[in-house]
Amino acid sequence: MTQILVQGLVLSGFYALIAVGFTLIFSVGRVLNLAYGSFLMLGGYIYYQGAQVAGLPKFPSLIIAAIAGAVFGMLVYRILVKRLSGNVVAVEIATLILAVVVQAAVILIFSPSPKSMWPLVPGVLRIGDASVTYNIFIAAVTSWVLLGGLFLFIGTTHMGRAIRAVSMDPKGAVISGIDPEKVNILTWAISGSFGAIAGVFLATYTQLDPNMWVTPLIIAVAVVIVGGIGSILGSLVAAHIIGMLETITTSLIAAELRGVATMLIIIAVLLVAPRGLFGKSEL
Amino acid sequence: MSALKTPLQRGIAAWLVFAIVMVVLPHLVGTGVTRSFVFAMYLAIFAISWDVMSGRTGYISFGHPFLIGIGGYTTALLTYHLHWPLYFSIPTAVLMTMIGGTLFFFPALRIRGTYFALVTLAFMELIYGLVQVIAPKVTGGTRGLSGLDSLVTGAIPNYYLALVVLLILGFSMWLLIRTHIGTALSAIGMDEDAVRASGINVTKLKLFTFMLSAFTAGLGGALYVHYLGSIAPRALFDVGFLFQILVACLLGGAGTITGPIAGAFFLTFLLEWLRPYIPGSERFLIYGTFALILYVMQPNGLHELIRLGIKRLGLLAPGRRAS
Repeated sequence: MTQILVQGLVLSGFYALIAVGFTLIFSVGRVLNLAYGSFLMLGGYIYYQGAQVAGLPKFPSLIIAAIAGAVFGMLVYRILVKRLSGNVVAVEIATLILAVVVQAAVILIFSPSPKSMWPLVPGVLRIGDASVTYNIFIAAVTSWVLLGGLFLFIGTTHMGRAIRAVSMDPKGAVISGIDPEKVNILTWAISGSFGAIAGVFLATYTQLDPNMWVTPLIIAVAVVIVGGIGSILGSLVAAHIIGMLETITTSLIAAELRGVATMLIIIAVLLVAPRGLFGKSEL
Repeated sequence: MSALKTPLQRGIAAWLVFAIVMVVLPHLVGTGVTRSFVFAMYLAIFAISWDVMSGRTGYISFGHPFLIGIGGYTTALLTYHLHWPLYFSIPTAVLMTMIGGTLFFFPALRIRGTYFALVTLAFMELIYGLVQVIAPKVTGGTRGLSGLDSLVTGAIPNYYLALVVLLILGFSMWLLIRTHIGTALSAIGMDEDAVRASGINVTKLKLFTFMLSAFTAGLGGALYVHYLGSIAPRALFDVGFLFQILVACLLGGAGTITGPIAGAFFLTFLLEWLRPYIPGSERFLIYGTFALILYVMQPNGLHELIRLGIKRLGLLAPGRRAS
């Protein structure tokens, strides 16, 4: 019982980390970034290149991955999304094509075969009679720290207020002297770096392979649907519902049913509350 | 050309030319090229199916492999395990796609654009997971089933089978989108509330196009599976497969039916042409980048580029300018 609780809590924290970058862009820019999974994949591969090929220490490699993710996020916004701004459908399609292009590029550069990654912190943590690997535990802690930081940033700083303003009403924000361009670039950078960090943990949790962008995208999608568009707090709650439910299904029923429970929640939520549990129109 | 004044007449003439060229074609080219054409035609059928549902309405389906997969798996299971003759199993598969697909997508039909795309993508991943887990002995699990019966054998009979289906489906869908239904679908893509406010039953209309799309996907999927002789989850419920359908539609020009058909042919032959130079899946990189650039430059696809080109030529031609 403790095992399920601890593991579920840790997995949920990890899912929240995966989803928050996706939610952020969705609520501020009103666009779906289906290339979000590529941010994670890129983060994983860059970390691998740094820590396991070039032999850099782990922490600097993680930072490099995060910076690369931020740069990639800004590039995607500048080159692709901005050009299609106003056309939500076009952004969806273009980012999905981009995701497949990135996958092909990764195959070309790193070969299609999966690579196993060393855990960031080896070993197993025991809490009571429950045990989780340090790696996933650190992922959850990182997630809590990053999400706490994001909340503080959005809630207290001037820039954070600008982000909230744009997410509520872009036109109104412009009238009050906010440059929505700056806000968008910043959110894409944050999303990219969070995605890259989540990707490093995802790669150490499972493995590194060119298809690894699909699963986190589905998780992010599920979290957004259950939590409701544009609510970071909602995403946090949704990540915990999904993480817990998934842990319960996999440990009590069958391990193969990992994704199935998530899909059933999605369908149920769509039927009962199509706007999500905490759906509102701003952050 | 004086007889061909209206766009409809010109369109029908173009369809006739296309049909005649396609009928003659296998006698002029080798078996390899014929097989490429068969693949291109199936891709075109899937692209038509996508286009009917998503091309105009703005309800972007990322779940078309899911529909195609229902059709494919139904007929594969019926013939493989129960030894049903194909003449019964394929219609059953089409029916199953329409029923099963509608049941699954119905909650999705109630929600708006953005969520719809996400949910359909999720459905595809869900079925991918389920096929491998639930009764892997029946479905063949991850490896799928092989050695399925085929409807006709040989490259040329398969070519004509696919051609007949493509021509009938393509032409009738093309006629359909030229009616008020096509206009209404475009209007849904622009402003759904306005369409509803003008007294059109939007849900009914969406359901109708969805069933039509499912019918096309189911028929195409069932025939395709029997053409290949095998079925596997990763070959069908895959983002790469979805990507090919999407890119075919977008390259050609979504919402025009003829555009996606042209896109499917273009894509297939671009792939074939690239094969000697880049044998692996890196080809996705080339044509993916190409598709992305084209899409960002002109979201309406080659269809629109050609139309604009013709218009510009027409404007520049002397004598026309006066009128």
